[in-house]
Amino acid sequence: AVMRNRAEVDATLQTAKLNPAELLPAVHCLSFGPQAGGGECCLLQLEPGLCAELEAGRSLVIRGEKDEHAVLCSKDKTYDMKIADTSNMLLFVPGCKTPEELNAGLVSCNIIHSQIAGFSNNYWELRRCRPKLKKLRKLLMEDPYEGPDSRKDQTSTFSKYTTEDLLSLIQASEEEILHQLQVIDACKIEGFWRILDFDYEMKLLNHVTQLIDSESWPLSKVPLCACLEELGSLEPREMIEHILLSYGRKHVDDGEVFFEMREDKICRAIAQMLLQNAVKFNLSEFEEVWQQSVPEGMTTRLDQLQGLALVDKSSRPETIFLLKVEDLPEDNQERFNSLFSIREKWTEMDITPYIQDLCAEKQTVGTLLTKYARSSMLNGVKVYNSRRPYS
Amino acid sequence: SGDAGALAQWVLVELQGEVEPRQSGDLAGSLLGDLHYTREGVPVLIVGHHILYGKVVQLEKPFAVLVKQGGAPQPSPAGPHGHYTVTALIKTKLLFKTRPKPIITHVPKKV
Repeated sequence: AVMRNRAEVDATLQTAKLNPAELLPAVHCLSFGPQAGGGECCLLQLEPGLCAELEAGRSLVIRGEKDEHAVLCSKDKTYDMKIADTSNMLLFVPGCKTPEELNAGLVSCNIIHSQIAGFSNNYWELRRCRPKLKKLRKLLMEDPYEGPDSRKDQTSTFSKYTTEDLLSLIQASEEEILHQLQVIDACKIEGFWRILDFDYEMKLLNHVTQLIDSESWPLSKVPLCACLEELGSLEPREMIEHILLSYGRKHVDDGEVFFEMREDKICRAIAQMLLQNAVKFNLSEFEEVWQQSVPEGMTTRLDQLQGLALVDKSSRPETIFLLKVEDLPEDNQERFNSLFSIREKWTEMDITPYIQDLCAEKQTVGTLLTKYARSSMLNGVKVYNSRRPYS
Repeated sequence: SGDAGALAQWVLVELQGEVEPRQSGDLAGSLLGDLHYTREGVPVLIVGHHILYGKVVQLEKPFAVLVKQGGAPQPSPAGPHGHYTVTALIKTKLLFKTRPKPIITHVPKKV
């Protein structure tokens, strides 16, 4: 392409009847670069904070398999991506100066040949979303760890996942993934992230609680070293430490490591162990057995079972059954459909533990209920049911 | 992913309508027009026989320019897949929204 010269520019100005005296001396002659029509460039509109992250040299990653809607992940946040169309044409021009830059005298010549790198009539919009973490649990549950004695591991053909594997498969930021691994008490065994098989987990917990009992240690101060010594012959030391980390709070006292056992979490796990053996239980019978099953010094309370079990107050006698929030769908509408198929009418108190995790940034349970449910009064109590005419 | 070095700053030029080459054949290499600024900082774009007046806008939400590694991206409704690199940031746009003023001329001045 022939580059325009100053004389041609001035001639054009004259034809256009523009007064050069009213213009800044420098002109940009815009032409289309060699790659301009190729469509290899696209525009991504940045949410607050992302621009600064990029300028700081940090990466953004687009994640998603072909059947998933792509998400964009920064180091610690996840965003849905959506195409936005404009009726205008957007040209991206490298090296194009603004009037401020020209006035600052940064440009010495008065012709700037700028090549348009690309153009588009759409761009990607971002919207912060909940990280899609249900898949993480699903992947790790393909092959739960049953202990070193399990022959399953040697013959297992199931995939095992490293951190890198998870980063490429899960639509969430790295920090969100690592945080969730901690929340679900996953542990790294031989470089792979594993979730413990529940029965094995209870077996480990039981070793520890029995030892606490026989040694008469205070529940708030369980010594790590002694546990490893006493139980090291029964189970791998890493597993003993892992169960203490999962069910206790670590603190160091005088150079020695102790754990403050978490009463709520232990009671909850034991409840799960009891409840998983039947469809439902007589509530008062369950409460009695449950209290007897937990370590000496711990007190069971029904509120420890939020998101794990549901009490049916309408049946005579009252019953309780296992309902784990992590088994329910991740999508908002599907979650509500599922809940309403289990029970037609819910009080806010009962449903909250089962929808709390759906709340996006600055969203409340109330907003969700307004959107996905219809309220009515039942015996003087406000209840929520499905918006659909048929359940 | 982002670059370790400083990211280039580009400018967005927003025009109404579509861009078509004057000659048949594709756009690559062809001229668009001359971009001037008045002394008050108003951008003036001369495209063919039109004058467009615009304004400089600082973008509330800057853009990142993504270049797909390994060829053009397939437009998929589910989203862009594959590996992308951030080539540049765009914080400023030149918005040309006013209707183009035609340049009335009898004889193009030859130099």
